[in-house]
Amino acid sequence: MLKIEHLVKRYGDFTLDCSMEIKPGCITGLVGQNGAGKSTTFKAILGLIHRDGGKVELFGKDVEKFSVKDKQKLGVVLSDSGFSGYLDIHDIIPVLTNLYDTFDRDFFMKQVQRFGLPINKKIKEFSTGMKAKLKVIAAVSHQSELLILDEPTVGLDVIARDELLELLREYMEAKEKRSILISSHISGDLESLCDELYMIHDGKMILHEDTDVLLSDYAVIKVSSSQYAELDKQYILRHKKESFGYSCLTNQRGYYLENYPGAVIEKAAVDELITMMIRGDV
Amino acid sequence: MKGLLIKDMKLMLNQKRFFVTIGFIAVMMAAVVKDTSFIISYMTVLGAMFTISTISYDEFDNGNAFLFSLPVTRARYVLEKYGFGVIIGISCWLFSVLVAAAIGEMRKIMPVRDTLLIAVEVLPVILILLAVIIPFQLKFGAEKGRIVSVAAIGAVVVVFIFTEKAAEILNIDLELAALIDHAAEWNWGMIAAAAMALALVLLLLSAKISIRIMEKKEF
Repeated sequence: MLKIEHLVKRYGDFTLDCSMEIKPGCITGLVGQNGAGKSTTFKAILGLIHRDGGKVELFGKDVEKFSVKDKQKLGVVLSDSGFSGYLDIHDIIPVLTNLYDTFDRDFFMKQVQRFGLPINKKIKEFSTGMKAKLKVIAAVSHQSELLILDEPTVGLDVIARDELLELLREYMEAKEKRSILISSHISGDLESLCDELYMIHDGKMILHEDTDVLLSDYAVIKVSSSQYAELDKQYILRHKKESFGYSCLTNQRGYYLENYPGAVIEKAAVDELITMMIRGDV
Repeated sequence: MKGLLIKDMKLMLNQKRFFVTIGFIAVMMAAVVKDTSFIISYMTVLGAMFTISTISYDEFDNGNAFLFSLPVTRARYVLEKYGFGVIIGISCWLFSVLVAAAIGEMRKIMPVRDTLLIAVEVLPVILILLAVIIPFQLKFGAEKGRIVSVAAIGAVVVVFIFTEKAAEILNIDLELAALIDHAAEWNWGMIAAAAMALALVLLLLSAKISIRIMEKKEF
């Protein structure tokens, strides 16, 4: 569905050089710190910036050659941009109806009511949460095949976040082979939603794994300095010096559970994984 | 493109008070001043220039990034801005011509024919103004664009004045001056048609430049 091969974009000292693939029917998460290159990747996929090299193919077509019809197959949420604040929901309905051949007005209105959004209030007067909800509702209301969501849950409370994630699950269930590419700071959202995760750091993809594998096979091993010296390091991806000794990240949890029954081996949540991958040494 | 036009119409309707106010001022001025035709250029400029305001609205809060992720190409966006400027400009022009002609006739200070003559002169000037300002606005953004376009118009005026003065001093009969001298012999309709044609050519050329400017932009 989406294939990125060595996408290169340079901004002064920063260079993005990444590759990734999104398969039909999959929810793919993109994690990374601020400034790691997530938004730049999203912008390159959407043709908002000109790339310095590489290929970005969406639905088998170079995104720079995308027509209006091709763009109708996308639903987009950007964290730092949205509808003009001088419009209200009532205003944007005819705009969306005319931009998308398949805009489902009834569905859109139903969701607007479900999330309690005011129809005649200017968007600039919306709360952060209300703006975020409106963006996601608009993105899922026109039978798109791929959702590209950059931080869609930012500024939302737990309940609103759950409601939005539910909306995304409903979107996936409504039709086969739909896909989502999503980035988020809240790793819990990604753990529960995504089939695959990519981790980006300093403009490079440093990890790509199925979420199931990540949650079952990845672990953080906590050992003293003497235990560390004797540890078999062939499946250790990163290690980090701690006050008690060392933390080690592995993708072979079973192996260490079996061979080092005395060691503290904890399943790695996405947050820990990010910290170990970025802060740890190879 | 229809979606974009609707968006800009909605943005404009949100400024209803502004348009009602300038409409009211136009009518009041027509009722007081001697030259009722003045309101034609006043209203048409304000109307046509609203397309510049919509460019600022689009840019506000990084809105362009989202706008261009919608099914909108950069070329269509540009064409919509010209289309919107022309539609609103001509609507305001029609309204002001009606008001100026009616009040001019009612107060018996300006025959309808004179009002119409001026009205026909105003239209190409407004289109040329759009042709000059839109590319600057797209290239430099809301704040800088305004300054640069005012400077550009000023520069054109200064160049004209200097050329005229220089020609006077050097006693050169400029082709342009000769053209204007002979203009009186021309058919008035032909001049109007030529001015309109020139304005449309400039508008097309300007749109082409604007498309190139937008294609290069990053959001």
